[in-house]
Amino acid sequence: MMRPLMLKGHDRSLTQVKFNREGDLLFSVSKGKEASVWYSSNGERLGTFVGHNGTIWSIDIDPETDYAVTGSADFTAKLWKAENGQCIHTWTLESPVKRVEFSPDGNQVLIVTDQVMGQTGKIKLFDIDHTQNAQPSTPKLEIVNEDGPASRFTVAGWSYGAFYILAAHADGKVSKYDARTGELLGSTRNQEMVLTDLQFSPDKTYFIVSSKDKTACLYDVDRLSLLKRYTADVPMNSACITPVKEFVILGGGQDAREVTTTSLSEGKFESRFYHKIFEEEIGRVKGHFGPLNYVAVHPKGTCYASGGEDGFVRLHHFHRSYFEFLYDVEKTAQATQQFEIEAK
Amino acid sequence: MSQAAIETPSSWADAENDLPATQVTENADGTKTIISYKINDQGKKVKVTQKVKLVTVKETVDPAIAARRKWAKYGDEQDNPTVGPDDKTTQFGEEVQLILGTSWKEDAQKEAENRKKEMAKSKPQTITCRTCQGDHFTSKCPYKDTLGAADATTTTPQASATATPEPSMAAVAGSGPVRYVPPHLRKRAGGAAPETERKDRDDSTTLRVTSLNEQVDEMMLREVFERYGIIKRATVLRDRETRRSKGIAFVEFENVNDAQRALEGLNGRGFMNLIMKVDWSKPRKT
Repeated sequence: MMRPLMLKGHDRSLTQVKFNREGDLLFSVSKGKEASVWYSSNGERLGTFVGHNGTIWSIDIDPETDYAVTGSADFTAKLWKAENGQCIHTWTLESPVKRVEFSPDGNQVLIVTDQVMGQTGKIKLFDIDHTQNAQPSTPKLEIVNEDGPASRFTVAGWSYGAFYILAAHADGKVSKYDARTGELLGSTRNQEMVLTDLQFSPDKTYFIVSSKDKTACLYDVDRLSLLKRYTADVPMNSACITPVKEFVILGGGQDAREVTTTSLSEGKFESRFYHKIFEEEIGRVKGHFGPLNYVAVHPKGTCYASGGEDGFVRLHHFHRSYFEFLYDVEKTAQATQQFEIEAK
Repeated sequence: MSQAAIETPSSWADAENDLPATQVTENADGTKTIISYKINDQGKKVKVTQKVKLVTVKETVDPAIAARRKWAKYGDEQDNPTVGPDDKTTQFGEEVQLILGTSWKEDAQKEAENRKKEMAKSKPQTITCRTCQGDHFTSKCPYKDTLGAADATTTTPQASATATPEPSMAAVAGSGPVRYVPPHLRKRAGGAAPETERKDRDDSTTLRVTSLNEQVDEMMLREVFERYGIIKRATVLRDRETRRSKGIAFVEFENVNDAQRALEGLNGRGFMNLIMKVDWSKPRKT
């Protein structure tokens, strides 16, 4: 049994929740105009970032928790001081921003712009100058989507060492770009519908991509090969890889617009736990009244947060049984290992 | 703490209120015994003996995290005077279960099937054809023409011989007086009290809330009652069809003291334009 903390800082549906590197702070953004910062240990709200003028689609925190970056539907991305919530820089773009992410070293930020209103979807890389507030306003690199609106970028992220950019497309394609030259290094397509989320493993050598086609796929960065596939029965909005335990957490549910026509039990608004290796579903956590828009796990694997269409963030701290869970084969393997050690 | 105040010389007028100084003795097992004196509500002197063990708990925290813990609040939280989590934004949800296992899906399926089976079993056969005792309406009976219309004189011996499951039917067919038996008392010998099933539930910590605003739902109820203690269960009685609240709710607490405090604190208090009545859900045995 777990008693989740319910964080009610937003009046509209959540779009992204994210922990910082140490996991002591949780950042959440919603379709409202503010971002919230919470202490993950007790759910206390530290503050809000005020300044955007539309849905905030994405947020990220640099490794030192100095800066936060947000991307909004008001055609801007903003850089904030995490310490006092001051906006120190605003990038103005030509279309809504769907995803922002700091590079692993915090010296660059990527901004994914949506392909709407005659604009071509792009991934723009900007340098971050840590010595001053004003930031360069021209992108260091632009990756342009050349395959038309059906294959526009939805989300993207940095691989290990900031060597590559992995991008997910609306048609289920995943592609890999060189982060220095912008050259397309490869792409693969294993899912049928819009890719909704892309999150990396703790070491950023492999990543999971969730899709509206009710699946999530695990890829490795180097070869871009499909490692695992997790199948669910409802569209998936988000997926993350847990540290410590070999699990993945998937979140999703029926589309928001169809929710009103069905009862709660049919919506399947649950976080689903899959075993990363065996691809089997091993548990579910109920609670949200609407689809889950984002799931994020604490970097130490001690808790996870889910943001729902219902406007709540639910923060679950895992109990001991979670860490003790093992498959029968794993138990046997451990026992034989123990036996061999003792025999020696 | 109050030690200093006690040791300061007081004027002679207060002399009779003078309390002996607090004594602290170190025990051999590392604990301390503190004997202090105070004056209670009734104006009587009370001696308080406390045995205290000091335990130093060392916690190592990343300096960065410790520094962040001290950050001043900003944005919408800037003027919030609450120390610690504010229950406007942070609340505990209901307990949820996460049982990890490979067979949980099958278990859940089995359970659902079992429930279905039980439902099917417990469903009483309500329709009995008067002609052939089948489970259809008399007018739809396929043997209507061959067996003839249902006739009390011809079917009575048959009906009593087969002992129909419905007591009410038996009453009609039998010699006893025709008496209506409510559905929940049927099939029970001697009209056993229906409460027997409910007796196993412990209602000693449950409060009944009446004259509640119809707009109030379980969440709001919880919000109001939660400040008195941990709530196990909060239910609003609703109309079966329309799901409209009947203005009655039950709130079960984890312990009796919390329930008692909630009762004292909330009975007769206004909530959403109506004055709530809070009482124990069952008369207490004291």
